Amino acid sequence: MAGKVESQELDLTKLDKILSRYEGQDDALISVLQGVQAEFGWVPQGAIEHIADAFQISPGEVYGVLTFYEQFYLTPRGRNTIRVCRGTACHVRGTNANLRTVERTLGIKEGGTTNDFKFSLETVACLGTCFLAPVMMVNRNYYGKLTPDKVETILKQYD
Amino acid sequence: MGKIRTADELDSLRQSIIEKLDPNKTCVRICMTGCRAYGAEEIRDAFDEEIKRKGLEDKVEIRETGCHGFCARAPVVVIDPQDIFYQQITADDVVDIVDKTLIEGDIVDRLVYVDPVTGGKIPFAHDVPFYKEQTKNVLRNCGIIDPTNISHYIARDGYAALSKVLTNMTPEQVIEAVERSGLRGRGGAGFPTGRKWRLARAAAGDTKYLVCNGDEGDPGAFMDRAVLEGDPHSVLEGMLIAAYAIGTKVGYVYVRAEYPIAVEHIKIAISQAEEVGLLGKNILGSKLSFEIRIKEGAGAFVCGEETALLMSIEGKRGMPRPRPPFPSESGLWGKPTNNNNVETYANITSIILNGADWYSRIGTETSKGTKIFALAGKTNNTGLVEVPIGIPVRKAIFDIGGGIPDGRKFKAVQMGGPSGGCVPEAHLDLPIDYGSLEAIGSIMGSGGMIVMDETTCAVDIARYFLSFTQSESCGKCTPCRFGSKVMLDTLTRITQGQGVEGDLELLESLAQQIKDTSLCQLGSTCPNPVLSTIKYFRDEYEAHIKEKRCPAAVCDALCSYYILPDKCQGCMICLRACPSEAIEGGKRMVHIINQGKCIKCGTCLSVCPARFSAVAKVSGEHVPTLEEPIPVSTVTKGG
Amino acid sequence: MGDITLTINDAPVTGQDGMTILEVARENGVDIPTMCYLKELSPIGACRLCVVEVEGSRNLVGSCHTPITEGMVIQTHSPRVVTARRMVVELMMANHPDNCLVCDAANQCELRQVAADLDVGLPSFKLKKHYYPIEDISPYLVRDLGKCILCQRCIRACDEIAKQKVFNLAYRGFDCKVIVDLDQPVDKEVCRDCDVCVSVCPTVALRKPKKQGEEKKGPPLILSQ
Repeated sequence: MAGKVESQELDLTKLDKILSRYEGQDDALISVLQGVQAEFGWVPQGAIEHIADAFQISPGEVYGVLTFYEQFYLTPRGRNTIRVCRGTACHVRGTNANLRTVERTLGIKEGGTTNDFKFSLETVACLGTCFLAPVMMVNRNYYGKLTPDKVETILKQYD
Repeated sequence: MGKIRTADELDSLRQSIIEKLDPNKTCVRICMTGCRAYGAEEIRDAFDEEIKRKGLEDKVEIRETGCHGFCARAPVVVIDPQDIFYQQITADDVVDIVDKTLIEGDIVDRLVYVDPVTGGKIPFAHDVPFYKEQTKNVLRNCGIIDPTNISHYIARDGYAALSKVLTNMTPEQVIEAVERSGLRGRGGAGFPTGRKWRLARAAAGDTKYLVCNGDEGDPGAFMDRAVLEGDPHSVLEGMLIAAYAIGTKVGYVYVRAEYPIAVEHIKIAISQAEEVGLLGKNILGSKLSFEIRIKEGAGAFVCGEETALLMSIEGKRGMPRPRPPFPSESGLWGKPTNNNNVETYANITSIILNGADWYSRIGTETSKGTKIFALAGKTNNTGLVEVPIGIPVRKAIFDIGGGIPDGRKFKAVQMGGPSGGCVPEAHLDLPIDYGSLEAIGSIMGSGGMIVMDETTCAVDIARYFLSFTQSESCGKCTPCRFGSKVMLDTLTRITQGQGVEGDLELLESLAQQIKDTSLCQLGSTCPNPVLSTIKYFRDEYEAHIKEKRCPAAVCDALCSYYILPDKCQGCMICLRACPSEAIEGGKRMVHIINQGKCIKCGTCLSVCPARFSAVAKVSGEHVPTLEEPIPVSTVTKGG
Repeated sequence: MGDITLTINDAPVTGQDGMTILEVARENGVDIPTMCYLKELSPIGACRLCVVEVEGSRNLVGSCHTPITEGMVIQTHSPRVVTARRMVVELMMANHPDNCLVCDAANQCELRQVAADLDVGLPSFKLKKHYYPIEDISPYLVRDLGKCILCQRCIRACDEIAKQKVFNLAYRGFDCKVIVDLDQPVDKEVCRDCDVCVSVCPTVALRKPKKQGEEKKGPPLILSQ
């Protein structure tokens, strides 16, 4: 799986399909990049140049936008994305211990991806589910009122 | 549903929807937004299945609604017409609810809310103190209607305000009503909404834009999320009325990408409104034509700042630009642009329908209407509350919020998130309004209320907020890019026990200059949490700097852990979990933490079973230690 | 487009509608220090050095981008303003390499000049410095990003004057950086020999490569590198 992600050739037909959804919309750069991110899981370099051409701007400008927003990744991501919330409510209810547990269990730091491309770890400013604090999300699933041992059990459910 | 071509057609459609509704029909309202995280989907599936099995499909409606507000008790369901409130239920409870309540009309005792103060059972939602003390205006539909069904909204006077505006009011009259209502922007700055609309209307040019700011980024705030998820049409209707008043044809709703359900619901609402002609050309047969586009944020807090938001909508880096010119003169693509927050737009319909006078009777002299707050942190009843502006802080936290859990002592409440300041105990009776809060160094903000108790460290919380704003700084202007970093580094040093004499003065002086010189609101407000905690908890800062002690025992580097011999059961859980092998002991032996090996990670404290609670965390105290592990049986067990 | 009267440092002055505070101040002989501002480029208000006190305004305002209005009362050198400006420069200096002594541009460096003018000595606090490798493979341009103060003059000059878009801003916050292409070193592919960016750079983050024979003009005062 790991090899497959890395050697993935950029599928230009998929990219053009995303671009065609926003044809003629000058303001759609971020939407296109979001589409690419959703399709490929990251934004490959080849895509940047292609998108810059389509919008008739310099690749550097696209790169500037990409690196401004946290949502975008310039390297391949894991199959499952863990988002540990660092919101205020989570902070005062001890989210740091959970984050450390994830980091220790997976052997990666915030922003990292495991070597087997099973998990990527992110922290987010606030998931807006403060009543569940401390919270993390794995893909689209929320896990609330977490403790370090609950975290370990949850991670085992994914592959 | 076909196109609604006139105001009369809308009225008769509403009549026909209402006629078809049977007010006595049993309806199970399940929160399918916030409660999803607690398994609301499984509960819904269980209801669907059980109701099918019992053949009750015609008699019972299962309705997926938005947030009911009482998130601390999630998942919640409310059963109409009796208004029975069940809380913290699971899919396994569904059979009981169907048999006892839906079929026999009885109440399932064990699922009922128990008043923590009196211990009495409260079966009906309208009697629960958390709800009783609220005034639901903006949230009137939230938790009641199915947000993905436009007829539910129409049945509850939905789009009646729009229809009134289009048939009976001039744009000037609309602006006048909003001005007279006293509504101020709910995003945090509190600028009078009517005046903003007037400026945008008066601005030169035919092409103007409308923007709805749903980039709710304050950590600990989820008001806009609830409104977008639970009642999206009220936002669209508010925007339509603004579009009519200001004279715009295109509007944008900018939603945080971290809110997938909000994005989904607002998209559904837009396409439904388009389908029936409430968005599009010549709405309700009038001259108003309006379309709404959605932009999803991509993860940048600074985009909540209005000029950065506009940059982001244009597809660029969300970096603020100087004001003036204000967006009302020169906004999106240089055209006049009116920008309001989600909650602000959601207030409009009630002003139009009930009148400006009705609205301005709610609230205080200078701050009108209701405000939604997100109660979170160390409070019993976390959730969403809507109250008249001007109620005392104490009432929100203790009467509605139910006070502080575990009998701990209230310390302060942070209002306005990372841009705001805290309200300490001495100011608990302060009315929550724009002016009063600002006077004590806090702000109304967008509505986040994070309650802190005695186990929260003032320095740590200030450091936390600054680490947030520092990492969200866009980098454009010098004071914010560099100044916030110097402040953060200083605070980090203090929490790590490396504070030095003069640090407080450095923090205060940097804070003042950063406030004074930053280009945008992110920069000029980021020192607020630091200034307000220094103001009210200076002694805690000094304890960190001079005594290397964290009075709340939070800052790891200043704390020690030890095991209480009278509580330890020798279960070896902490011993195995300790990453630095600092715990000695054995089966049924009282464990000991080797202070020399301890890396102060806190793992032992978090893994020690709650029923033992044998790990203590202290700061600035002598750490009592046994010489060597002794059998658990030889220790006298204390309480 | 009529005259607008306002007060700068207690003296009544007149300006035209559309002028900024800075323009009016300079026209009247009041010197406000600037860094990111250049007359030829669109103002962005990034460095915050040009802040002034405007009566009725809660915070200081950037004079390079704030238009004048009738009756404005402005202080350009009040203690509050000077304290704020000094902090801005101190922050820039704290992030700047410590090698003024051996820096080629010491005498022309605008940052050094303004620090001297405002009496800003060594920073009273620590701030992480950015270390970037010197980019010297292009025959036209050498970039030493460690000396960049993010005034964005090069970005704007390249775009607005040279009508190229060689430079862009990338990353965010403390990590913000002026990039070329997808954050690659300047090479001869991207840039032609127009020198516009070099001429506007206030430090020597951008400079022309030294030509071998011209390197030493007489005995050096200090043995460098």
